[in-house]
This record gives sequence, C-alpha cells and structure tokens, in this order.
Amino acid sequence: MSEPSLSRRAFLASTGLAAFAGPSLARTGSAWAATAAKVATPAPAFSAVATTGKTVSLADHAGKIVVLEWTNHECPYVRKHYETSNMQALQKEATAQGVIWLSIISSAPNEQGYVSASQADELTKTRGAAPTAVLFDPTGVVGKMYGATNTPHMYVIDKAGVLQYAGAIDDKPTSRKSDVPGAQNYVRVALASVAAGQPVKTPITRAYGCTVKYA
Amino acid sequence: MGTMGRMSRLLAIALLAICLMAASAGDGAAAWSGSPRVTVELVSERDAVAPGKTFWIGLRQTIAPGWHTYWSNPGDSGEPPQIDWTLPAGFTASDISWPNPERIRLGPAMSYGYSNEVVLPIQLTAPANLVPGTRVTVAGRASWLVCEKECIPEEAPVSLSLPVVAGEPGLHPTGAPLIARARQAVPSPSPWPATFTATPETVTFAVAARGLVQDRLSEVWFYPARWGAIDHAAAQQARVDARGITVEVARGQLPEATAAPIEGVLVLTERLDGGVVRQAFALRAAPAAATSGLALLRSVALALAGGILLNLMPCVLPVLSVKALGLIQHSAGSARAMRRHGLAYSAGVLGSFAVVAGTLLALRAGGERIGWGFQLQSPLVVTLLAYLLFAMALALSGVFVIGARLAGVGQSLAARSGYGGSFFTGALAAVAATPCTAPFMGAAVGFAVTQPWTTGLLVFEALGLGLALPYLLLTLIPTWRRFLPRPGAWMKRLEELLAFPLYASVAWLVWVLSQQAGPTAVAAALGGLVLIGLAAWLFRISRHARATWRGAGLTAVAALVVGAVALGPLAGTAPARDPAQAAGGRAETFSPRRLAELRAQGRPVFVNVTAAWCITCLVNERVALRSDAVTEAFARKGVVVLKADWTSRDAGIAEMLGSFGRSGVPLYLLYAPALSGRVAASAPAVLPQILTEGAVIDAVNRI
Repeated sequence: MSEPSLSRRAFLASTGLAAFAGPSLARTGSAWAATAAKVATPAPAFSAVATTGKTVSLADHAGKIVVLEWTNHECPYVRKHYETSNMQALQKEATAQGVIWLSIISSAPNEQGYVSASQADELTKTRGAAPTAVLFDPTGVVGKMYGATNTPHMYVIDKAGVLQYAGAIDDKPTSRKSDVPGAQNYVRVALASVAAGQPVKTPITRAYGCTVKYA
Repeated sequence: MGTMGRMSRLLAIALLAICLMAASAGDGAAAWSGSPRVTVELVSERDAVAPGKTFWIGLRQTIAPGWHTYWSNPGDSGEPPQIDWTLPAGFTASDISWPNPERIRLGPAMSYGYSNEVVLPIQLTAPANLVPGTRVTVAGRASWLVCEKECIPEEAPVSLSLPVVAGEPGLHPTGAPLIARARQAVPSPSPWPATFTATPETVTFAVAARGLVQDRLSEVWFYPARWGAIDHAAAQQARVDARGITVEVARGQLPEATAAPIEGVLVLTERLDGGVVRQAFALRAAPAAATSGLALLRSVALALAGGILLNLMPCVLPVLSVKALGLIQHSAGSARAMRRHGLAYSAGVLGSFAVVAGTLLALRAGGERIGWGFQLQSPLVVTLLAYLLFAMALALSGVFVIGARLAGVGQSLAARSGYGGSFFTGALAAVAATPCTAPFMGAAVGFAVTQPWTTGLLVFEALGLGLALPYLLLTLIPTWRRFLPRPGAWMKRLEELLAFPLYASVAWLVWVLSQQAGPTAVAAALGGLVLIGLAAWLFRISRHARATWRGAGLTAVAALVVGAVALGPLAGTAPARDPAQAAGGRAETFSPRRLAELRAQGRPVFVNVTAAWCITCLVNERVALRSDAVTEAFARKGVVVLKADWTSRDAGIAEMLGSFGRSGVPLYLLYAPALSGRVAASAPAVLPQILTEGAVIDAVNRI
C-alpha cells in the first residue's frame, strides 16, 4: 500500500467538501403543455369556424354536455371507427340525448386530413356521420389548447362546462376494425356518467391514433 | 408530405395486397416481406434448433428513410409492433425484448420508436421431443404502424425455417451479430436505486448513479414505460452531481400514475475518447416520500435489533460484561447514580456513532463511494484498534488496573467521578463494535447511506441505541437488577475470562491486517503489541513506586505507546499481498489480459470486483454468487468467473472501475459470449450492486 489508504484520503477530502453542482443539461420543451386543458377543471373557451361558415363557440353551448372529437378522415385509426360505423353510432346516440358533438379538424393546409368546407360536409354525408358541427382549426390553436395529440382524440365536457373526460375513444389501441366490437367505449361510459351527474370512473386515458397534423 | 405521402401510401396498399414473399435465403434467414416503407424478416441467432433448447430470434424491420416504427411505449401516438405466432407444436415464444428507442418529435407530440433498422429480439424455446434431422418452421404475422408524418398500419407474414440438430447448434453468420447488437441495446437492469418526487407540475427522478462525470454526458433522457406519469414531449432537466443523476420533467396527465413506482428506461449518452456510447438502464423509481416513511421505520427497527445483537460480539461483550459486573458489585448503590452511569454510557455510545456516521455521511455526500466499516480500509485504523482491544484485554487479565478517571470500569462505577468513565466506556464499546458487523446491520446501513443525512444519522443512532440498550435498561429499571447473580469471588474469575474474547478479537484484527497489508504490517503491529504489553506492565509497577520513579515510569509508558503507534504507519507501507490468495474458490484471478483471452475464446465471463472490507460484496457473495442455483447457472452457460480483489489498492482494477464510472466496489459485470469476434469489444451487462440470486440468474439467462 504505497498510496494513502482510502479512509485517510477520504478524511482529507472531507476537509474541503466541494459543491459538485454542474450546469444542467437544457432541453427544448413542449411549448403547449402548460396551457393544455385539464380534466376536472373548466374546459378552455374557444371559437372556431364551422363548415357552415358560422363561428361556433364553446360558450354557445353552455348548459349542455359537449363532446369534442379531433378527426382526420385519412388517418387509419379514424377510419377504423368510421368504417365500422362505431363513431357515427356514438354521435347519433349522443346527439339524440341533446349532447352537442363538435368534430374538430386541426390539420393545417396541405397536411393530411385538411379539407374544404364542402369536402367536410360531403364526408359527413357519405359516411353517415351525425356531429352537431364540424369545426376547422387550421392554426391548431384549439387543438393545442386542449392538448390534442391524436386523431381520434376525445373530450367530454359536462353541463357546468367542466372537462370530465380526455383521451381515447376506447380501450383497444389498434387500427384493426375487428377490435371494435369487443372494446369498452370510454366516451359512451363517460357520457352516461356525466348525464347522471356522477363522476367519470376513467376520466383520463392515453389517446391513440395518428398524430394531429398541426402546421 | 401530401402528394408524396399519399402516393407512397397507395403504392403500399397495392404492394401489401400482393404480400411480397421473397424466396427463402437459406437456413435461419428468412423470407422477407413488407412494404416499400418497412420490410420485415425473422432472423435467428443459431443456424439450427436443438431439442429442449432456448434460443434467440429477432424480428428485423428495415425502415425507409424518414419513416419510423414504435417502441413498447409509443409515446403520444402510435402503436408498437406485434407478432401473432403460428408456432410448431411445443414451441413457446417470449415477449419482445425492446431495444432502447429514439425520440421522434412531431409538432407538439413526442413519439418513441425506431428508424432505419431495428431488430426486436424474442426468445424461442423448442420442445424436448424434436427429432434431429427434421426441419421446423416458425411462422407468424407481424403487424406494425409506420409513420412519417402520416401513419400506415401494415402487416406481413414472417417465417423462419431451421433444421433440427442433436448437439449444440452453431451461430448463424448473419443472424447472430444482428441479434447480439440488438440485445446490447436492450436496457440492462439499473445498477442504481431510483426514487421520484412529484409535485402538481413536475416529477423529479433521483438516480443514485454516483461517480459520473457531467461533462462527458452529452445526453440524459428518461423514457417512461407507460403513458401518463410524465409529459413525453416536455423538456427534461438533467443534472449530474456527486449524489447522482436527477431528471426533472413536467408531469403527465394521469394523476394516479405517481401513486405507484414509475418504470422506464434511462438512456445515458456518454462521449468517450473513442466515440459516443449510448447505454440504457431499466429503472423502477419508487415514490420517495411514500417509501421513506415505511422504509425508515423498518430500517430503524432493523438497526435497533442489530445494535442489540452487537452486544454479543466478541469485541463488545467483554466491555458490556465488565460494566454489568460493576452493577452487581454496586447493586446496593444509589439508584440515581446508576441511572446517571447508564445515561453517560449511552451518551458515549451515541456520541461515538454520531462521529463515525457523520464522517461517513459527509464523505459520501462528497462523492466517496464508501460504506460502513470504511474505517477498516485503513491498516492504521486496524492496527490502532488492535492496540486498544489488547490494552483492554491486559487490563482484564490484571496486568494493570485502569484508574477510575480513565475508564470507570468495575469498582469505580458508583463514584461520581466515574460518569466520565462511563461515557468513555460507551464510546469505547462503539469503537470496539465497528469491526463486528451484526447480521441486521447490512440492510439498515445500506439504506441509511443512501438517505439524506438526517435520515441516515437517525438510522445510525438507532444502531447505537440498540448497542447501549441492555446496559441502559439495567441501570434505569432497578427491579431488573434482581435477576443479576450475587456478587462474589466469581466476578474476578469472569473478568479474567472475558479478556480472552478480546485477545481473540486482536488475533482477528491482525489477520485482517495480514490480508490488507502483508507480513511487514503484521510484524509492525505485533511489535507494537509487545510495546503495549511492556507499557501496561510499567504502568502498573510505576504506580506503586516512589514519586521520582513514578514520573520516569509514566514517561516510559507514554514513550512506549507513542512507539507502538508510530509502528502503525509501517503497516501502510507494507507490500500488498498476492491477490490470488484471497480470490479463493472456483474463481480465477482477474487481469485485463485474462479477460481479453477469455473473450477472444468466445467464453462468457462474470467479473466480480470485490474487497475483503466490503460488506456488501461479502453479503452478495454469500447470498447470490455462491448459491447452488447461481453456480448451476454459471456452469450451464460455461461462464468463467473472474475475481478482481480490491482489498488493497490496485491500479488495474481502479482503472476498470473508472471505465464503468465507478470509484468503488462492488461492481459486477457479465460479458456475453463474443460472436465470431464481431462484438468482442461490446460492453458487458452491469449487474446491480445488491445482488439477488434471481438477478444473477436472469442476467446469465440473457446471454
């Protein structure tokens, strides 16, 4: 042992304990996370132009249950739910009970899923969809405000304007149409709870699908 | 992307409809299929299948530039690949072992996945009743999502045909290196404990990866295993300091995700002189606040029990017994005085523990990788402890009598001036206890040193309280003293008898010294012990001598003690012993050359970097490394065990430790067999510091 023993070296070290704090490794962050809507808090107010050309605001539907559906008709996950009529059935079921259903397209111009008003109406017609309105969000402001990352990405807002559900349409995160029949539809369950004035059992889930084609 | 993407998608659908199946490219390699974006094939590590054997295959995805497929946690969108197997009768397939992913940012969303090429390893187990000479075909349907900006779900049949052989199948020339590389990218179990703390806005992970150098780390990123706990897309603030790595990130959307441990993969990218190394560790971070309450309680209880057991250790028992004898002799004495003696003794124990533990915790905070018993790493401390115990033993043998003011053993108990002595005895008991490690101490101390200093100190003080407790209770509760035997002549005999555990402790410490510092140190220490003996004898006779002689005698005693102590550092300059001697057992002695030789021979190698003074190492060896199951696992895979003994300093071992970002032991490395020289330079799996049988066997099974 020609070198000093560990304990003696350690004692020497202890006499001059240095602070080892180095500079932190900085990263770029997500710019929108802080502003995203939060379940169990009031849903952020927004306005967007509908296919009719009229501006629709969340505030217009105060006192009603509102469903927000982010969509992109070319996304395979969206197609899974439209080509099985799963989405349309839910839209009809909900709107029949007085629920306001807003389908929102946040695709930027030239991105997948971006459509004109007439194309959007045509899609609604040919697919037999039944939303209250289809809204355009080409700048992505509304989508980012709600933290919508996927299509489909679903939100349920109660009569008091509080966000009660955010996430996936169901519990089978695949693009396989054969998974639709066996799936538990989170939105249907959430709507039933909200209508009954009860807390939503599974208020937050991981949305699945394609990324929203923001600008 | 619009037109291009749409066109390629149309093309893809057309091609998918045809479902390309290329001609088989020979055994173990595979028909490829897929789309213009992703082609898939099954590759095999082996060129044949042996009955009853487990082997690796891989789903290889070749991904067109700009496109990506997904990890097990795909991030904010996407879907991991899947395989629906059609296996021959009796075959079983494991889940995919996921190689660590890369980050793909798409607008505000973050995906975790793969680009260019990925091989997803899967373990197949063949049934025992396979007939050599036949062929088996492993088939399945692979499905995956591939995204550029747009996403396309794709699927394709995959299959692999292999001959069945009786003996050990050979490595497949193309498949084996592919799978070896993929498995290197699969996260290894984190060698560091991790915790997290959550606020409403953030989650902060603390990974006790000490000894890393911040400047060399170009990137630190935590990939959670599941969605919800952290915001995938948010910035991660990583800090590397003496305590380890902390990563702070915005909280995810799922509030309940922070109620349970958060699992994930910590990827460290390190700049080395030769290039960049990316290492992935599978972490399971426990909630810091939730566990520490329970864990603290458990550790305090364990420490208390361990402290009580310390009383029975040969180096402590005599000290305690002599104190107890004093109680017997003075059981008629004032209850108040006794209580005070008990408290003074306890204060001595606690104070002594506070000093040692405080030093230990301060040094660890400064980045030293040391544990309990670190004092004994110094041959000087070992030598001085041997002197101390020898002097105590001589006192018990009656060679000399320790004055009341000095130690307060025995008859001085009732004297008021003996309180200081009681305090000193307590401190002595604590010091004498340090070489003796009670069974419960390991876990509690292991916990204590990873905690903030207040918590750590609390656990050490619980240990001290346990040590003090038996004597303290005897002094505090007078009725308990009724159970003590009556005083008598037997007490003198017992005192003399109790000298022998101390002599035994001295013998043991000299053995430790011989392991640590070789024959010269032993000779120096033995010489010192002779001087201590002479000093003790002179001390006794000078007390009865005339005043003039007494002064000279005491001066001589002091000179002898100084001389003995001066011999101590000689221990530190003695040559190191032959490490092979300590290695023992089946293990071979480590040397970088031997490691390279074995690796070149294609042998799997387990390197055990250990030290005689490292309690964790010894516990690991006993609990995990020497167990029958581990021995069997090593034998089955033909693993050669190399033992690197760091009891004495060794530049080669220190350098190796340094290359793994360590400054201390234990370190356990498992090198997978090198494959036809192609991955001979690959990094080994680093096993956790606290080994369990299961952890070792798992690691061995992975190679």
